[in-house]
Amino acid sequence: MKKLWLLAFRAVKREWRAGELVILALAIMVAVTSTSTINLFADRLSRTMILQGADFLAADMAVSSHNQIPDQWAEYAQLIDLKYANIAQFSSVVIFGDEMLLSGIKAVSTGYPLRGQLKTSPGLDADAEVMNSIPENQEAWVDRRVLARLGVKLGDTIEVGELPVKITRIITSEPDHKGNFSSLMPRVMINHDALAATKIIQPGSHVHYLKLFAGNEANVRQLKQTLDKQLRPGDRILDVFENRPELSKAVTRAQQYLGLASVVVVVIAGVAIAMAARRYSERHFDTTAILRCFGLKHRQVLILYAIQLGIIGLCASTIGVMLGWIGQEGLLYLLRDLLPTRVAEPGIIFALSGILMGLVILAGFALPPILRQREVPALRVLRRDLEPLPASGWLVYGLALAVVVGLVWPHVQDGRMLLITIGIGLLVMAVFSGLILALLSGLRKIVPGIAMPWRIGVRSIAQQWRVSLAQILAFTLTLTAMLILAQVRGDLLNNWQQQLPENAPNYFAMNVFTDEWQAFDAYLRDNNVESKGIYPIVRGRVIKVNGKELRGQVKPGSKAERWLDRDFNMTSSAKLPEDNTLIAGSWWQSDSSHAVSIEQKLAEDLGVSMGDTITYAIGATQLEARVISLRQVEWDTMNPNFFMIFAPHDLDEYSTTYLTSFYLSAQQQPVLRGLLRAYPHVTLLEVDLILEQLRKIVKQVSLAVEYILYFALAAGLMVLFAAVFASMDERIYLGVILRSFGASRSMIRIAQLSEFFTLGFLSGLLAVILSEIINWNVYLWVFKLDYTPTPILWLIVPFASALLVTAAGMFSSRKVLRESPMQVLRKL
Amino acid sequence: MEQLITATNLGKSVMTPDGRLDILTAVDVSIKSADTVAVIGASGSGKSTLLALLAGLDTPTEGRVEIAGENISTMDEDQRAEMRARYVGFVFQSFHLLPGLTAEENVMLPLEVKGEQFKRSQILDLLDRVGLAERTKHYPNQLSGGEQQRVAIARAFVTTPRILFADEPTGNLDRNTGQQIIDLLFELNSEYQTTLVLVTHDEALAARCHSRIELDIGRVVDLQ
Repeated sequence: MKKLWLLAFRAVKREWRAGELVILALAIMVAVTSTSTINLFADRLSRTMILQGADFLAADMAVSSHNQIPDQWAEYAQLIDLKYANIAQFSSVVIFGDEMLLSGIKAVSTGYPLRGQLKTSPGLDADAEVMNSIPENQEAWVDRRVLARLGVKLGDTIEVGELPVKITRIITSEPDHKGNFSSLMPRVMINHDALAATKIIQPGSHVHYLKLFAGNEANVRQLKQTLDKQLRPGDRILDVFENRPELSKAVTRAQQYLGLASVVVVVIAGVAIAMAARRYSERHFDTTAILRCFGLKHRQVLILYAIQLGIIGLCASTIGVMLGWIGQEGLLYLLRDLLPTRVAEPGIIFALSGILMGLVILAGFALPPILRQREVPALRVLRRDLEPLPASGWLVYGLALAVVVGLVWPHVQDGRMLLITIGIGLLVMAVFSGLILALLSGLRKIVPGIAMPWRIGVRSIAQQWRVSLAQILAFTLTLTAMLILAQVRGDLLNNWQQQLPENAPNYFAMNVFTDEWQAFDAYLRDNNVESKGIYPIVRGRVIKVNGKELRGQVKPGSKAERWLDRDFNMTSSAKLPEDNTLIAGSWWQSDSSHAVSIEQKLAEDLGVSMGDTITYAIGATQLEARVISLRQVEWDTMNPNFFMIFAPHDLDEYSTTYLTSFYLSAQQQPVLRGLLRAYPHVTLLEVDLILEQLRKIVKQVSLAVEYILYFALAAGLMVLFAAVFASMDERIYLGVILRSFGASRSMIRIAQLSEFFTLGFLSGLLAVILSEIINWNVYLWVFKLDYTPTPILWLIVPFASALLVTAAGMFSSRKVLRESPMQVLRKL
Repeated sequence: MEQLITATNLGKSVMTPDGRLDILTAVDVSIKSADTVAVIGASGSGKSTLLALLAGLDTPTEGRVEIAGENISTMDEDQRAEMRARYVGFVFQSFHLLPGLTAEENVMLPLEVKGEQFKRSQILDLLDRVGLAERTKHYPNQLSGGEQQRVAIARAFVTTPRILFADEPTGNLDRNTGQQIIDLLFELNSEYQTTLVLVTHDEALAARCHSRIELDIGRVVDLQ
């Protein structure tokens, strides 16, 4: 064995020097560089977004409750090296002289915010500063609204409950400022330790307690697991994604796309590796025959090549990972203006797994051609025509498929879907092989009619049909993968942009009373402000399903448990809101009553199905309604959306307020003032800040996707080039023979040009057909939309592909024309 | 001298679309240790096939071949490979040097395959002996045909094999160069006391061997 290792090391060294390994090593390097860049980048991007999400939560994780949160939890957190801070939020009146103002009081403890930045300024005109402290016991920090509405200034003392506090700073931004009721009110921030002195909190007071935690990721997970088991009814763990569902969706989609891109690159690179390995293997038949003559056994030959392949794979992958590391730094550099200042560190494990990935891809795509060495007979030294049988198709495609499935699996995790995709893929490849063979046979027939220099090139493709089939299939696969990636990116970006159009609602109006909602709506319309529908709001909770108490049916720890004590904002509507899609049942007639439409995921969590009867508690009364439809809801638009929508008049008898959202441009601000004057009790929530954050995230992710696409396309081009290069030997040989017969350079050039052009054109044409078929299926079955083909692609892709392959081919075969035939022949 | 190679009733046939084709029929050969044997005959007479069977590169359809008393015809491919490693060296008409290896490395290769310890001086001496002291770092495509065959001869002798099979060693060389190569081959052969089995259609070359096997359409017509 030691002998083989030694032999393998020497062979690799010598072959590297002789240039035999360049293409194979390059193909592996491109594969690993691209996948490492994408994987490292995707990992960092998503972790950065989690960090960013942590800023929004002011922590890595928080427990939220309407009851005091046990101190033991904080003690446990400290034990496992986590930081913690307390928040108590409630609304209360603050007093200054005779003026009173209902405010959102936020009592924070030392350390707040654990993540993100709290910014305040020491004066109205002063710049905001990032705070590392919180208000002292006798102090309050307030926002501008408090100053304006109470008519106070910095240095004045206001009363929070029974506690007089001096206003010392103006809050300009809070990391965990969200669009909910308490943050909607003018903000007064005090020290958590001063809370008792206010004497506001009495048994039964409506207080929202939060305990924030932050620290090492593993420890946070550990805490979450521990607390999960100890939560009391009404306690909720907030982590980044739960807190901001729109963030979670953007990150998930970006991850899915990046995952797809990395798989596409692996497939493309795999094709190049397979072609390079085939060339490598075929060029080593003579070497193997000699080694067999010298007494090397079958098994030893195989081990020898396996070790060589392993060494090449390891070296090329290591370099690939290093380049990938640089690549992802480059991508982050390009995105630096959009990314937050705190960017997650690259994952070392991810980098190391890149090396493993390189070896796996190599095994999957390069092993079958290399395995042929085992069958090289020693007799080949006397009879060069003795070639081992081609690798079995089952082995070649089986192994490659296994690798691709292994890589795709984490991104799909839907066995049926994966099997269908593979089945369709194999079927399509079989059909395409037949199609290519038919095309080649057609080419053979027209060869005699083609003018001379072109005839040589076209005949070469038609006659070497095995090689041509493999090449056209490989190019087709590469181009198809690139086309699909480009198309998916377009749809993804459109989809995001549609969700957050320029005129996405930036104001929510709440507490519109029953007797004035029509006038309110009319006022908006009269001022050319488009509202996204005005909805009655009734708060209620689910207590029974089919007459049985929900509490009795819910298993501890189940998803339903978290909905038990939760009040829903429920509405009734005659129309299906525009962001909603019915996925079961039908929308009601105008005379329907006691009917409810439920958001699908909630129905799933509660174990509710179509036709079930649900009993709601609304105040002291109960309402029964039958589930007659299930809806899918796009939560990440800024329109009002609801878990429960009732038939039009079901909620009429309950005391109701109305809610709407609308878009106001900067020029329409007078409308706002008019609204405030006419409806002083209406709560207006401005969500521009949230919109801006959302848009920023979407922009980050979109740009990331864009760069990754370019990167994948560049990798595809390189691979295409390598694949052409790997198949040059026969072509160079033909060129040299022709030259030795006296063919002019221009004749050979035209012959080669026609060959590459035909190869590229056919591949491009088939790639368009294949990608259109795949896209058509995706639209039909996944998006459930009509697919409109892109006719221009049918023109562009075949010609672009022909140009690319021709350029790569002419570059690779330039030495045929430059050097003397003898020089070239000796090198072959 | 002991019998080193014995072939008894050796036959080789292949199936073709037109039926069975006999390449060799009932060949009996006996070669003693340190003997030099020429296998001669016209093109297609079965010379190379006989060489392949005697060297264990191919298996006969009939009869048997023994080397040093071991029946190699019943051995499997790996056992024959082991036998080749122990006893056999080769020189081919088309040299079969590995293109990515220098002259020196090509000569080293059989020793590396056997896993034997060796000194670089041993290789350089041998290359010096075949007249290539100045060309040790050259690649095959930088050497002339005659030089390539010298490297191949040095490579064949480096393991001091008991039998050297040479298949038309001068077939790709001009007369002059061919003569020099043959001189070298015989010199080394007598130095190393190797048994030489040489396939050729060159009468003059055959005449330098102690004995000859003449083949015609797969049969031995003359055995001297």
